[in-house]
Amino acid sequence: MNRHLAALAVGAASLVALAFLLLPIVAIFAHTSPAHLVHQLSNPVVRDAFIVSVKTSVIAQVLIILFGTPAAYLLASRRFPGHALAVTLVELPLVLPPAVAGIGLLAAFGRFGLLGSSLHTLGVTLPFTQTAVTIAVAYVASPLYVRQAIAAFEATDPNLAAASRTLGAGPVRTFFRVVLPLARGGLIAGLALSFARGLGEFGATIMFAGSLQRVTQTIPLAIYAEFDQNFSATLAMSGVLVLVSVLLLLALRIGLTWQRSTSTTSPSLFGLSHSN
Amino acid sequence: MGFLAAVHLTVFAAASLTNVFPKIASSPSYSFGGSNMLAAQIEQGAPADVFASADTKLPAQLHAKGACGTPVVFTRNAVVIVVPRSNPGHIRSVTDLTRRGVKIDVAATGVPVGNYTTKVLRTLHLLGAVTKNIVSRETDVRSVLSKVALGEADAGFVYSTDAKTVAGKVTVITLPARAQPNVRYAACVVATTHHRSTAQAFVHGLLRSSAQAKLRAAGFLSLP
Repeated sequence: MNRHLAALAVGAASLVALAFLLLPIVAIFAHTSPAHLVHQLSNPVVRDAFIVSVKTSVIAQVLIILFGTPAAYLLASRRFPGHALAVTLVELPLVLPPAVAGIGLLAAFGRFGLLGSSLHTLGVTLPFTQTAVTIAVAYVASPLYVRQAIAAFEATDPNLAAASRTLGAGPVRTFFRVVLPLARGGLIAGLALSFARGLGEFGATIMFAGSLQRVTQTIPLAIYAEFDQNFSATLAMSGVLVLVSVLLLLALRIGLTWQRSTSTTSPSLFGLSHSN
Repeated sequence: MGFLAAVHLTVFAAASLTNVFPKIASSPSYSFGGSNMLAAQIEQGAPADVFASADTKLPAQLHAKGACGTPVVFTRNAVVIVVPRSNPGHIRSVTDLTRRGVKIDVAATGVPVGNYTTKVLRTLHLLGAVTKNIVSRETDVRSVLSKVALGEADAGFVYSTDAKTVAGKVTVITLPARAQPNVRYAACVVATTHHRSTAQAFVHGLLRSSAQAKLRAAGFLSLP
C-alpha cells in the first residue's frame, strides 16, 4: 500500500514538474499560428534583431573557440599552483547575475572604465556598439564552453596522446590529430550550450551595449522592447528562440553521445561525473 | 489612514516616481518601470491595484478597454536634457545635439518620456538630425539617466525630477519654453483590484495637500 502511495506521489510530482516546464512553451505557440509566426519574421524589428543576434553570437562563439579551447586544454592537461582557483574563476561568470556582469563590463570597458578609459583615448569607445554586444555575449557564454571543453579534454585517454608522441608526432600535431578529434563531441556539446546562453543574453547587453534597432538590439532585447507595442511580434521572436533552443539541445545530445563513443571514459556535463 | 495600512496595496508606477511615492505612502508594494511596460502587464492581468503613469494616454487607453477606472491627473513634470558633469560631448544647448558623433540616449517609443522626446525634437525641427546620433533606446527614464550619470552617453532626455536624484553627477540643460511638452501624470484604480476602496483612497490621496507638498519638494510641478 505504502509502495503504491509512493509511486503515485512520484508520478504526480513528475507530472507537475513536466507540465510546469512545458506550459509556457506550449502557450507561446498556442497564442500564435505558424502562418502568423512566419509573417512576423518579415517585420523589420524582428528581422533586424535576428541579424544582430546571429552576427554577434557567431563572432562571440568564434572568439570563445579560439581563446577558450587552448585555455581549457591547458587547465585539463596541466596541474599547477592556483589551478583550482583558475578553474573557479573561469566558472564565475556562469553564476554571476547578468546585471552584475553588465556593471562589471561597464566598469572595465566603459568610457571611464579601467581599460575603457585607455581605449577611449586611443579613439575606441565600446559601449553602445555591436562590439559591446559581442563582448557581453562572450563574457556570459564562454564559461559554458570552457567548462565542457575541460571535461572533454580530461576524458580523452592520455595513453593515445602519449602513443602519438612516441610515434614521432609533435605536440601540435598530436593535439590536432589525436586530442581534438577525441574531444570533439564534448566540444560541440559545450559550443551548443554556450551558443544557447549567448543567444538569450539580456541583462549584461542592455546595461553595457544599450538597445538600438539594427545596431545593438538582439532578439531578447527586441522581445522586451516590443512587449507593450506588438505582442504578436514578441511571440514570434520567442517562438524562433524556442525552436533554435531545441536545435541546440539536439546538437548538445548528439555531441555528448559522440564524445562517449570516441573517448574511453565518459565526459561529464556540468562537471558532474557519470557513473558508468 | 489606518485602513490604508490594513490591506496591502500593489502600486504600478512610472519609473520617475521611484523616489517620491514611497515618501508619500510607505505601506504599498511598488513596482516601478516604464509606464508602457506596466500598462502592458496590467492588460495581461498583472495583480496591480493602482496604476500611476507618466502620461495621461496610457491610463486613458486602459480605461477605454475597461481595465482601469477613471484616470485622475495628479502632478506635472518637465522634460530636460542631462549631460554628464564632465560634459564629454561639450553640449550647451539642444542644437548641440545635432553635432556629428554626439552620443544621445533616449527612452524607447511608447515609453512616455520617449514620446515626449520625439515631440520636443519635432517642435524644434531637430528630429531627423538628432535621431542620427541616438545610440540607445532605453526601457524607462531611469535607464537613460544612469547611462548619462555614468558618463557613457553624452546626453539624454529625462524629467527634471530625475536629474535631481543624481544632482552631483549630471548637469541640466533646460529646453526652450515653446518646445516644453505638457507632461501630466495620471493614476487610476485597476479594474481587477480586490481592494477597490483602499486603491481609490490612494489615488485621491495623491491630490491631498500633504502628498502634493512631497511631490513639489521632489521637483514635480503643481497642477494648474
